[in-house]
Amino acid sequence: MSLQKVPPSLLRALLGSAAILTMGGTAAKAAEPVLQTEQSDVITLPPYSPHTILVEDAVYTHNKDGRVYVVDADSGKLLGMVQAAYNGNMALTPDAKRIYVAETTWERGNRGARNDLLAEYDASTLKLTSDEKLPARALVTPKKNDFALNADGSRAYVYQMSPSNAVEVVDNTAHKVTQTVEIPGCALVYPWGNSGFSSLCADGTLANVSLGADGKVGMTHTAPFFEPDKDGIFEQSPTVAADGTAYFISYSGMVYPTKMGENSTVEKPWSLQEGAGLKAAPDSSKPFEVTWRPGGWQIAALHKASHQMYVLMHKGTFWTHKDNGTEVWVYDTQTHKRIRRYPLKVASNLVGVTQDEHPLMFTANEDNGDFFVSDALTGKPLRTMKALGTSLIFTVAPGEG
Amino acid sequence: MLPSENKNSAEQGTLFDRLTESLLRRFAGKTSRRGVVAKLGGVAAAVPLFPLLPVSRANAASSSAAKAVAKATTPFGSKAQAKDANACDYWRYCAIDGNLCSTCGGGVHSCPPGTAPSPTSWIGSCYNPQDGNSYMIAYRDCCGQDSCNEVTCLNTDGDQPSYRPMANNDIIWCFGTGTSEMYNCSTAAVIGKAS
Repeated sequence: MSLQKVPPSLLRALLGSAAILTMGGTAAKAAEPVLQTEQSDVITLPPYSPHTILVEDAVYTHNKDGRVYVVDADSGKLLGMVQAAYNGNMALTPDAKRIYVAETTWERGNRGARNDLLAEYDASTLKLTSDEKLPARALVTPKKNDFALNADGSRAYVYQMSPSNAVEVVDNTAHKVTQTVEIPGCALVYPWGNSGFSSLCADGTLANVSLGADGKVGMTHTAPFFEPDKDGIFEQSPTVAADGTAYFISYSGMVYPTKMGENSTVEKPWSLQEGAGLKAAPDSSKPFEVTWRPGGWQIAALHKASHQMYVLMHKGTFWTHKDNGTEVWVYDTQTHKRIRRYPLKVASNLVGVTQDEHPLMFTANEDNGDFFVSDALTGKPLRTMKALGTSLIFTVAPGEG
Repeated sequence: MLPSENKNSAEQGTLFDRLTESLLRRFAGKTSRRGVVAKLGGVAAAVPLFPLLPVSRANAASSSAAKAVAKATTPFGSKAQAKDANACDYWRYCAIDGNLCSTCGGGVHSCPPGTAPSPTSWIGSCYNPQDGNSYMIAYRDCCGQDSCNEVTCLNTDGDQPSYRPMANNDIIWCFGTGTSEMYNCSTAAVIGKAS
């Protein structure tokens, strides 16, 4: 309603009420100091605590608008965010001081020249400190291992598929791609130490790439230890760059403890089901058998100091490896036994843990973007961040890599 | 390739004639004239998208559903349907991950206007409950516009990790489309018989 159309009597009454309200307000606040003029400023985040985490939101419904949230998991508050365009990937340095985002944009939105980029942000100010063009990167629904940092954060590895498979090695000090390593028949990056990474291969082997100081590349392969079409290894199996520890988990639930390095060694596998007192699950040759199986997107997380592994489990047949976990099963990776079991109120596509003595566990609702924080030692739900994002797909906690 | 996938009308006509003849001969010896018409109508109603499927297979499948289910080699295949191409449980979508082009202005093997089909794809093998056969399916993405989001499915029959790219449904298959390589939706074209 426009003011001209208000009847004069009503207008007088409204103005009168407003005057009274204003007077009343002035009287009540008379004793308070007059508000000072304010300067606009920008928040700087304090150094990250073990519970300051990154959450990747792929925004499946409009992927070019992906983002990374910085979250204080103790308070359940969003501290800030940076963009991570079109199936972006992200990583946090071991000292939690820099965030890297590998992303793809087109100069005119959905058209124009394509830019594959590696952005570096100061983790406290979230200011861009480097914005580097990459030769290529793989466009794929983001998985942690499409992009990774070496143990001390001095190098970034960008998996690319254009469409031949390779890894771009980036010097994070010079902000330059130093070399492109072809990894024919292999994919993904699982860094070990500061100058090497492994990749999983189509023939069931692990390729081990060493980067010499002279720029020379060495590559070895393990013997085949799995059959991808019968029982593939989950891409987002937990690995640790610092010491080359890896737990490669297969679709059926076999865990292959691996020490990654120039010549990675894969140990005899153990079964998640047997560790929980059940019969080991069959591979794809018996696809109809319903049992507890690992599944989801970020399917597992490792608490390094306690050797405990958190795995999303659900009941289903073979080929349900992307079904969300209805429970989290916690394993001692030394005894191979399930030591705790947490039914989830909402089935989750991800599980993450922090690395401190009082670890938190994270799960999410893939449908509405709710983010759940629980006590990792008891499974007790602590807080929910309602609709934190749209498509929450993985988390990164300080010191986990 | 299924005859219905083949746009060569001359060849289709020949095949259709052959099938029609074989169908009529088969039923003529067993049933009344009225029965033939009824059965033909039933078959036509049941297989609107596959009018040219070999009749013996369609007939066998419809007369013995249990037998057909027993032949499904995967859990998805045993529950799949062959009538609604806009639903996630449609048989060809056994390993599709993403938006159904058939609900985005395209079709099961057609891209919506404003997008471009990918010349590359990954391949699945899906069981058709209608004829009891498994077919090779090329999941070709349509590219150049952002995600369509009408009916979104995540089926994972035979889906292997990205180190087996030809069997992985997470990769954006928009290489060489001449577009931004931005993913809009997925199609599922029959490219051959798998069994």
